[in-house]
Amino acid sequence: MENKVEKNDRSAFVSKFLRLLKGELGLILILAALMVVFSLMSPYFFTSRNLLNITRQVSITLIVAIGMTFVILTGEIDLSVGSSAALVGVATAAVLNATGSIFLGLIAGLILGVGIGFANGALTVYGRVQSFIVTLAMMGIARGAALVWTGGKPISRLPVDFAIMGAGYLGPVPVSTIIAAGVFILAFFVLNRTKHGVYVKSIGANREAARLSAIPVRKYRVLAFVISGLMSALGGILITSKLLSAQPTAAEGLEMNVIAAVILGGASLSGGIGTVLGTLLGAMVIGVIDNGMNLVGVSSFFQQIVKGVIILVAVLAKRSD
Amino acid sequence: MPDIALKLEGIHKSFGGIHALKDVSFELSEGEVHALLGENGAGKSTLIKILTGVHKMDSGIIQVRGKTVTIEDPVDARHKGIGAIYQELSLVDSLTVAENIFLGHEPSTSFFGTVRKKELIRRAAEYLLSFGIKIDPNTLVGDLGLGQKRIVEIIKALSINANILLLDEPTTGMSRAEIDTLFEIMDDLKIKKVNMIYISHHLDEVFRVCDRATVLRDGQNAGTFEIDKVDLKTLVKSMLGRTLKEEFPVREGRSSEETLLGIKEFKTDKMLAPISFSLKKGEILGITGIIGSGKSELALGLFGADRALKGKISIGGREVRLNSPDDAKRHGISFIPEDRKEQGLFLRLNVEHNICVANIDLAIKNGIISSKKKSEIAKETSEKLKVRPLDIKMAVQNLSGGNQQKVVIGKWLCGEPDILILDEPTRGIDIGAKTEIYSLINYLADRGTGILIMSSEFREMSAICDRILVIRKGTIVAELEGKDSSTEQLLTLALGG
Repeated sequence: MENKVEKNDRSAFVSKFLRLLKGELGLILILAALMVVFSLMSPYFFTSRNLLNITRQVSITLIVAIGMTFVILTGEIDLSVGSSAALVGVATAAVLNATGSIFLGLIAGLILGVGIGFANGALTVYGRVQSFIVTLAMMGIARGAALVWTGGKPISRLPVDFAIMGAGYLGPVPVSTIIAAGVFILAFFVLNRTKHGVYVKSIGANREAARLSAIPVRKYRVLAFVISGLMSALGGILITSKLLSAQPTAAEGLEMNVIAAVILGGASLSGGIGTVLGTLLGAMVIGVIDNGMNLVGVSSFFQQIVKGVIILVAVLAKRSD
Repeated sequence: MPDIALKLEGIHKSFGGIHALKDVSFELSEGEVHALLGENGAGKSTLIKILTGVHKMDSGIIQVRGKTVTIEDPVDARHKGIGAIYQELSLVDSLTVAENIFLGHEPSTSFFGTVRKKELIRRAAEYLLSFGIKIDPNTLVGDLGLGQKRIVEIIKALSINANILLLDEPTTGMSRAEIDTLFEIMDDLKIKKVNMIYISHHLDEVFRVCDRATVLRDGQNAGTFEIDKVDLKTLVKSMLGRTLKEEFPVREGRSSEETLLGIKEFKTDKMLAPISFSLKKGEILGITGIIGSGKSELALGLFGADRALKGKISIGGREVRLNSPDDAKRHGISFIPEDRKEQGLFLRLNVEHNICVANIDLAIKNGIISSKKKSEIAKETSEKLKVRPLDIKMAVQNLSGGNQQKVVIGKWLCGEPDILILDEPTRGIDIGAKTEIYSLINYLADRGTGILIMSSEFREMSAICDRILVIRKGTIVAELEGKDSSTEQLLTLALGG
């Protein structure tokens, strides 16, 4: 009996996923259309190797965008994710080189990410400064710290084993794809099946009503920034691992790609609305555009214009349905 | 036979196959204030939206002064002399009174297209003066009280030369003095040949200012009455389609002698003065007073939503500290706030989310939410409260006001609270829904819940409360048995007579 209930619940979970997928039909069609166009234009595009490659390229944007989804759901924004990723990369590499332990390097990097996120959250929530301003300042501080720390030069000669996370493969599947998939499933679960998800959505939808519904609003608002900080740290570690070198200038402009992915995914900047599934599709659209245009040979200058236009069209198309 | 300012005939409108209006007719004579009445969802809003060009009717005829017209959109409605004042204000807080009045139709612009400020202020002052209103046109609208804002809104509507004015629940949130001013202005407008359609749930106001009343029920005409020749009972019967046996259902149980909640010299940063009182198990205790007397501040304080400065709160004889709504909830206190849209609801989210949000723990096992259990709770609660339509996946913003209020109550009901604080629980909802809410309050009290109701509707207070405290300027000035109190007595005490 007990078992049956659980099974019912699980099928409800699956049906919820399918229903959500149906809600994202517009975005799925856009993604499919882009893939058809690029397949026609380049014989290399629709190969299993390239498609897996896209998932690897997308994985970092996706991980950071999932953190951003939590922040945007609460009605805030985090502009510091790119700089945080760079600073965490530098810190991870420095600790790794100093101690010779990959594990200690990872721990140091993740703790730093949590610390940056906590600072962003505490200043926004308890300091009552708009998150746009707090994280804009943090964006400068983190980037500056990374540059000062390294004197502007990359930290290289990292142990080859460290490259597994960002550049390794498990069979044909990139390890970073697997990590991103894990993060996605976890976030999907948290937002749809735990108290945390209910609270985050409520806070974004109406902060005062959330407070008067006995939700510890401030705690969960800070927590959203901490999650974003943690996710940018993971992103920064993957970038460093992929290049086997920590660049203080890494992930420049990452915040824009990440915010674009979340908004493309249907989230509202005023909070309360958004799903990680949408974010996944948004990140995929951006990844496919980048990859496809490279294969087709569009100049990188021109690529930026095309990307901007496609994002506008996609958002407008979503609005009209 | 007086001239007809506005005539609607055979108006039909349906949304997705559901009839919102069916063969509705309406007539507004010159120099008349005509009430449009009906329960929530009877079709009043739809009719108003057709008149102001927000919705288009499916069929029917609209005549303005005998001329058949079509109303394309809100701008077109304004051109045809139809102005509207809604419950939600449409003023810009950061602009001055003068700028707000002429927003979008600045009377005079210079050669460069810039607004001539002096001219603007002069004309605004003229308007204000013609109604005998003492508001400086240079004041920022954000600095005005709600009543004054409403008046500015009316003048804004009139400044486009509207001669048909729609007033939708214009007295919401206004003090008695402000309401009096509004009614004086309406009298003045009548002399100035402005015809008005007045929508309100407060039938006493209708009897005070209206000449005739048209009642809608289920999207159809239920009758038009001369106000002089009709009584309250007939109007209510026409609205409900049945005689309302008891507006205030009689409670069978009574409160116990056991003290549930004790408040001693309690004060928060928002309260005007310290307050002491106690609430018994199963008691319905009313706290009444005029707007601004400090009722809401007390309610928010007891729910831990403001910062407590001094005093003691004890529940069941044990002293407790309530530093947050979260603390209050843990001690069995629930709170239904005054403003359902701003404080109570997540409008864009669905009924299920709104009902389950505060007691989500009930649906959680091992840290995981059971979606089945969640929808069960939502369904059970909405059935108990008769939320219509019964669709837990519907966004709350699509429900009528009365049903929205039921959802706010449902949010706390499913947690079976020991103490329930309600701040203005029946504001802006129709008589049918009110009666349902009173029955529910009785039911909870009979089960032993201590009920604390804050309300400025004196009639309601004397009818449903076991005991009433009157509050004035943040201090309790009188205590009465519910049965012994009269509306006049409460009003006199509240005003400080």
